[in-house]
Amino acid sequence: MGRYILRRFLRWIPSTLLLILVVYALAFYGAGDPIKLIFLRAPGDVAWDPERIEAIRHAVGLDRPFLVQFGDYLWHLLHGDMGRSLITNRSVFDAISAAAPVSLQLGVAATLVMAVVGIPLGLLAALYQNSWLDNTIVAFALFIWAVPAYVAGPLLMVLLVLVLKIMDVPYGWDGLFSIKAIVPVLVLALNPLALVIRQARSAVLEVLAEDYIRTARAKGIPEYVVVFRHILRPVLTPVVTQLGLIMITIINGAMLVETVFGLPGLGRLTVRSTIDVDYPFIIAIALIGSFLVMVSNLLVDIIYPVLDPRAGQAQAGSE
Amino acid sequence: MSRHEPFAFEIPAAASVDSQVAYRRSSLWRDAFDRLVANRLAVVGMIIILLLFFTAIVGPYITPYDFLSQDLTARNQPPSAAHWLGTDDLGRDVLSRVIYGARTATIVAFSVTGVSLIIGIALGSVAGYVGGKVDSLIIWLTDFVMSIPSLLLAVVINLSLKTPLTYWMDDMYLATHNPLFRQTIWVDFALVFGALALVQWPSYARLIRGQILTIRNRNYVLAARALGLPRRRILVRYVIPNALGPIVVAVSAGLGQAMVLESAFSFLGVGVRPPIPSWGNMISDGLRVWRHYSHLLAAPAAVLGIVTVAFSFLGDGLNDALNPRQWKE
Repeated sequence: MGRYILRRFLRWIPSTLLLILVVYALAFYGAGDPIKLIFLRAPGDVAWDPERIEAIRHAVGLDRPFLVQFGDYLWHLLHGDMGRSLITNRSVFDAISAAAPVSLQLGVAATLVMAVVGIPLGLLAALYQNSWLDNTIVAFALFIWAVPAYVAGPLLMVLLVLVLKIMDVPYGWDGLFSIKAIVPVLVLALNPLALVIRQARSAVLEVLAEDYIRTARAKGIPEYVVVFRHILRPVLTPVVTQLGLIMITIINGAMLVETVFGLPGLGRLTVRSTIDVDYPFIIAIALIGSFLVMVSNLLVDIIYPVLDPRAGQAQAGSE
Repeated sequence: MSRHEPFAFEIPAAASVDSQVAYRRSSLWRDAFDRLVANRLAVVGMIIILLLFFTAIVGPYITPYDFLSQDLTARNQPPSAAHWLGTDDLGRDVLSRVIYGARTATIVAFSVTGVSLIIGIALGSVAGYVGGKVDSLIIWLTDFVMSIPSLLLAVVINLSLKTPLTYWMDDMYLATHNPLFRQTIWVDFALVFGALALVQWPSYARLIRGQILTIRNRNYVLAARALGLPRRRILVRYVIPNALGPIVVAVSAGLGQAMVLESAFSFLGVGVRPPIPSWGNMISDGLRVWRHYSHLLAAPAAVLGIVTVAFSFLGDGLNDALNPRQWKE
């Protein structure tokens, strides 16, 4: 097991390096000269004075070859230094550590909602397969999978605030345990919820066809015991394997939800720095996002054999 | 996911030659179509999407007003007989803009799906046919791209290509004085196509590789080869028809995804920029004034929501209709 984790980890390092290289190269060649970008926004006309620009570039080391600068960036990154904003000169690390808790709380809350609502709905749909209940749940899952956050969010706001008049405008952040946070968490949970429902449903259907379920029922075990002891345990496995995809939908969703509801998290930080072409931020956030997905995938690979011993044996056999 | 009865073959009681002629010939596609039509949600989705494409094609001829014409005496009007969906902060007709937005969404969806399908077919079939190291490399690449949050990746690509492309357009204009190079709209569109296609190709590549690998060794292909059929005939009669089903499903889902990503782009302010209407940037504009003029927000949001849900239902129906093997129980 330890060897397996180590091997996974070693395989994961080159992808991460490639990712940093690609994002850095895109910013290096694409985003334009950072010094010029800074002075274009500053008063005065330094931006149009090539000699001064060149002098500043030399002073901060931006005229060195690409690989040298990239190595430099990597070195700083390893020490937790992700550079500074081109616009506010704020340390990227500080800004991100200020924004991350908001996104983290939103993400965890949405994950809880999605697990607590999604698994029972998937279970119900599968237990009553092809009934009206199943059809409704499946249609509901298709529906919430399709509706993007910037459609669901605004329409919910119009409904709750203007039509039903049951709440104030949910804009801004007062902590997770406030009324304002309810709608954003729900909207963020919608897309991954659909994934969980579908996964849970097909997993239960698969388990229901197993012999041991038939045996358990034949022994006369009460149905609720069959459901909770025999069906539910293996059902968690396929849901857990979707963790990487769920992470991607949550990160994509966070960018949109935080913009819609004005929440000061990583998502809005991304959008703002994108519009400002503040690329030290963009590199850092792209890295964090992909890092999260890769860690989730790694976790899945480690947890999966624990949940499903058959998979562990298959892996041991292949090595 | 299926809501159909298992497909029952009707076996004629007395299978004489005459009575068989009377039976409708059921081909692969005919079967699939019947299964699709039996799914009511999918039919509704299909009708909405056909309506969308129709609107996109004839859009400029049926809009009641020009989507750019401003009427500053009639700003922010609620829906009325003259303006069915009201007017926006510059007095532009919202219905006309929503209709034109259908055009933007459709153009982007088809171009993005086309480009990513071409990349996917090229890399996927190379991976499937060549195999070995090339195959592992391509699979690793698809894994890599798919493990980056798609919206984030598309934003980064879009952003870093924008500056060089804009400079290039400027240089070309100065060199040729061709007015074509002054139209920054094309830069926007090209960037959206490029960024989204680069995010979407891996799923097509994997699908096509998988199809090639499985179908190549199916018994009917082996049998056809053993019978000495020419390669082209095997490809046209056996391989392509059998590979097509999942690809049609993937393309229909991809069209919907591309449309959603385009509007997400415009919503975030990095995609198609005003004054060209896109549902995404209309929602983003509407979000600023929705307390007072909620129709500006509700109209594009509702239309986009209806279209994405329609794609979802149609995709599900197509999946059930074309991949009958995936029927659960």
